[in-house]
Order: sequence, then structure tokens, then C-alpha cells
Amino acid sequence: MPGPSPDDRDSQKRSFLVLAARYSGLALALPAATFVGWVIGTLLDKWLHTTWLYLVGLILGIIAGFVELIHAVTSSESKQ
Amino acid sequence: MEQLPFTALLNKYFGGIALALLQVLHVQPKHPETPITNFVAMEILVAIILLVFFILVRMRLSVERPGGLQHIVEGLHNFVQNQSEEIIGHHSEGFTPFLMALGLFILLSNLMGIIPGFESPTATPAVPLGCAVASFVYYQVQGIRKHGAGYIKQFIGPMLLLAPIMLPIELISHVARMLSLTVRLFANMFAGDLVTLVFFSLVPLGVPVVFMGLHIFVSFLQAYIFVLLVTVYLAGAMAEAH
Repeated sequence: MPGPSPDDRDSQKRSFLVLAARYSGLALALPAATFVGWVIGTLLDKWLHTTWLYLVGLILGIIAGFVELIHAVTSSESKQ
Repeated sequence: MEQLPFTALLNKYFGGIALALLQVLHVQPKHPETPITNFVAMEILVAIILLVFFILVRMRLSVERPGGLQHIVEGLHNFVQNQSEEIIGHHSEGFTPFLMALGLFILLSNLMGIIPGFESPTATPAVPLGCAVASFVYYQVQGIRKHGAGYIKQFIGPMLLLAPIMLPIELISHVARMLSLTVRLFANMFAGDLVTLVFFSLVPLGVPVVFMGLHIFVSFLQAYIFVLLVTVYLAGAMAEAH
């Protein structure tokens, strides 16, 4: 059986790079989403003169971080 | 603020114009006598270098006898094109100019830091943030262009009942992408510059070369990761919502 062609090897190498870079991007997804949620909540608190929206923003931010993680993992699994 | 030679040159000839422009926009610079900061001057330099480079490439384009510059640019173009086709799928050619311009701007900005008398503009948070905001606007606009009003489906999730919860979650996760792109590039370039500087002040001979080599590697890697993640976000915006 002939081995993989140079084009296939290039494609495999590129897929590995894509996957590696995509996973490296996940490292910041959760903290970034949490921070953004908290900032939006705090700004809304200031704007609407409330004291609890920062907590809602924080929780939504944490959920958004997990959603982004799950999206990334499921999309790479479905491509494999 | 310690001015770099190129910044001093720009401030000498264009400082007045820059100050007038900032006043029109109601922005008060921290140092009115030097309104052009180092990172803005470095950005302008990167833009000039890229412009001159591409004008040279354009002047020397030849089908029969392609030169070295043409080979390099064609190689880069094919690399970005193949990668976006692999991630986004067919009809991704339209995105190559943006992705290539973004990648080359970030790469050259990152590499500026290794030349004495210059610094990496990407080691200042405003520059990676500018690139991230431009990418964010670009992929959202492309998503709207492709799907029209149906693009909102990507934000409201599969069930209409869950839309009030999914919409803020998706909005936060999209804004968080800008933050993560900014922090990753800024932190890596800032740390790279700092490490080189610290070792240069400790052992001025030999040792900093290793860290400069590392800085070059990180410059390429970070430019690649930035472009790749923007391509992944573009693919998400182009995909049909399920």
C-alpha cells in the first residue's frame, strides 16, 4: 500500500497546527468571558443604579465561557 | 515618555497636525508637546514598510520570470488561502486579503522589537485591541452579509424559548473573543520584550541572543495564532446555525 502523498502530509501537518492553535485559544476563553460578563454587569449597575447586576453578569460570563469551551470541543470532535 | 528616534522625527514634522486632529476629536494628549506616541509611530512605520513592500512586489510581478519577492508573497498567499479553505470551506478566497494584511501587520509589528531603536507596537495593549476590534467587526459584517437577518439565529440558540438566556451568553462570548485575542498577543509580546531587556541588562553578551531567537519564534507563532483564530471565528460566522 503506498504511503500518504506529500499533499496529504502537508494537510495533516496543517490540521495539527490548526488544532493546536485552536486549543491554545481555549486557555483564555473562560477567564475572558467571566471578566467581560462582570464588566458588563458592573456597567449596567452604574447605569441603572442597581447593586446586583454585576452578579448576573458574572454568572452569565462563566456560563458563556463554558459554552465557548463546549462549542470548540464539540466542533473539533465532529470534524474528526 | 522616552521618545524613539522615529517618534521624535514624526513629532517634529507632524506633531502640530496630530495635535490639531486630536483636538478636533476632543482628545487631550498626555504630553501635548509630543502628541505622537511611540506605538503610533511604530504602527505608521509598519504600515509604510508594508506599503513599500507591496508596491515593489506589484512593480516586479511577472508570469514568465517571477522573482524572489513574488515567490515569497505567493507562498504566503497560498498558505493563508489553503488554511482558510480548510477551516471555512469553499468560497473563502474573499477573506484572504484581510487575513493576510492582518497577519503581516501583526508579524512585522511583533518583529520590530528586536531591532535596536525600535519597539513592538503590539507590546502596547491598544494595538492588539485595535486588531481584535477590526477582526470582530469584519467577521460580524461578513456573517450579516451572508445570512442577512438570519444571522441572529447564531446568537439565540436552537430553541426560541431559551433565546432570552442564550442571547446575552452569546454576546458575552463574542465580546470575550476580542479580549482573549488582545490579552494573548499583548502579554506574549510584552513578556518577550521584557525578558530580552532583563537578560540584556544582566548579561549583555551572548545570552540575550537566545532570548531574541525566542522572541522571533514567539512573533511568528502569535501572528499565526491570531490569524488562525480570526479564521475560526469567520468560519463560525459563515456556518449555518443549527
